[in-house]
Amino acid sequence: MKWLLLLLPFTIQAATVSTDEKVVGIFYFNEMFGHVHQTAVKTSGSLTTIQCSHPVKVIESSKVSIPNDWAYVQVADYKGFIEKGFLSTKKPDSFQGKYLKFFDALNLDLAELYYWGRLNDQYIQGETRVK
Amino acid sequence: MINISRAKLALSSFLITSSLFAQTGKLQEEKELEVVNFNTIKQVLEKDGLSESARRKAKEVKILKKEQSKIEEKRFFYPVEQDLWGFVSEFWLVKNAQLLNWDFTKPDYGLDTSFSNLMEKLGFYQKKYKILLLNTPSLVRAALPGNNGEGIFLLSVPFIRTMDLSKLEISLLLFEDFLRLEEGYLKKSVETPKVKKLAGTSFQGKKPDLSFITELSKNYSERLMVKGFTFQQQFEITKKMDGFLKSNPELWNAYFQLLGKIDRFVKSNNQYKDYSKLYPSPEMQQKWLSPPEKVL
Repeated sequence: MKWLLLLLPFTIQAATVSTDEKVVGIFYFNEMFGHVHQTAVKTSGSLTTIQCSHPVKVIESSKVSIPNDWAYVQVADYKGFIEKGFLSTKKPDSFQGKYLKFFDALNLDLAELYYWGRLNDQYIQGETRVK
Repeated sequence: MINISRAKLALSSFLITSSLFAQTGKLQEEKELEVVNFNTIKQVLEKDGLSESARRKAKEVKILKKEQSKIEEKRFFYPVEQDLWGFVSEFWLVKNAQLLNWDFTKPDYGLDTSFSNLMEKLGFYQKKYKILLLNTPSLVRAALPGNNGEGIFLLSVPFIRTMDLSKLEISLLLFEDFLRLEEGYLKKSVETPKVKKLAGTSFQGKKPDLSFITELSKNYSERLMVKGFTFQQQFEITKKMDGFLKSNPELWNAYFQLLGKIDRFVKSNNQYKDYSKLYPSPEMQQKWLSPPEKVL
């Protein structure tokens, strides 16, 4: 009984965390490679590297405050941050999927995949207006 | 008694058989044979529409198999040229990440806003671009072909910092690179016959030949860091810049002065001594822009 009482606060806390987080929807990563970031900052550390078309759970939580252009996400067991511009509602046609065997044959190592993801973080992207 | 009843039974069975024979005109054996006769089964199936459904199913399977083999075949394709260039450019950036040193923390210089403003002022709308800042003087500037017609602009932070360039001056440099990209100078100079031959073709049943990717990557490095652009190409670009900026004297003057600034800088700074070889040359560009001297 004593043990149960000791465990009670943890059980309550776990329940609060799980009920507070709400899955907004499933989105897809739309760049060649990218990172799930530790914080909502482009240069922050990477939790994991993902590739184009990878499904991403976008979560809403009152306990996590994020800038407008970032999303709080879950990919496998990792919960982190991805820029909203890298997510789309429709599954994109990825280069890797389109040219599967060609891409596999390139045999890119982990460091290269990491850098490819960083590349998209480091780009300053822009587009001129429609006339 | 028994004999009489047997005779009656035989007579009645004969009568039944003959009456049946009279009704259908077919023997039982004949009927049994009909069941074994596949043609009749076929007719029955046709009557039920089962044969038609089986034919439809077979057709569907054939189409599905064809589609499946098409998808399978597609997986063995080399990228088409349209998809290839953006991929190769990024592949080159990834392979040279340490040398180009683009993975670093930097402030937001607001270059996207100033470059977009300049482009729009000059009438270039709906143009997508990516700017990648390099933390190295090894490569001062370049524009690489990206996906779907967008450009990837590389710019050395040590260069713009040491020269103390304004946002407008940086945007003018980017615009010059944009025109180079539009002319396709880099593509034309790095492309190999193998690219034309392999792009968009299948390597199913063969080992993929990736040597053209390595060659392209090597050619990128050579063109952007060793050989650079020709005098003819530079002349054409300078004349284009002249044409676009002429209607806006403020921009034209800023560009003319920028060339002078770069000329003085690269001549006095040993770290950038190769700049004029790669982009020949700011001094010549200024001359090409200057009105011809009148001979009295």
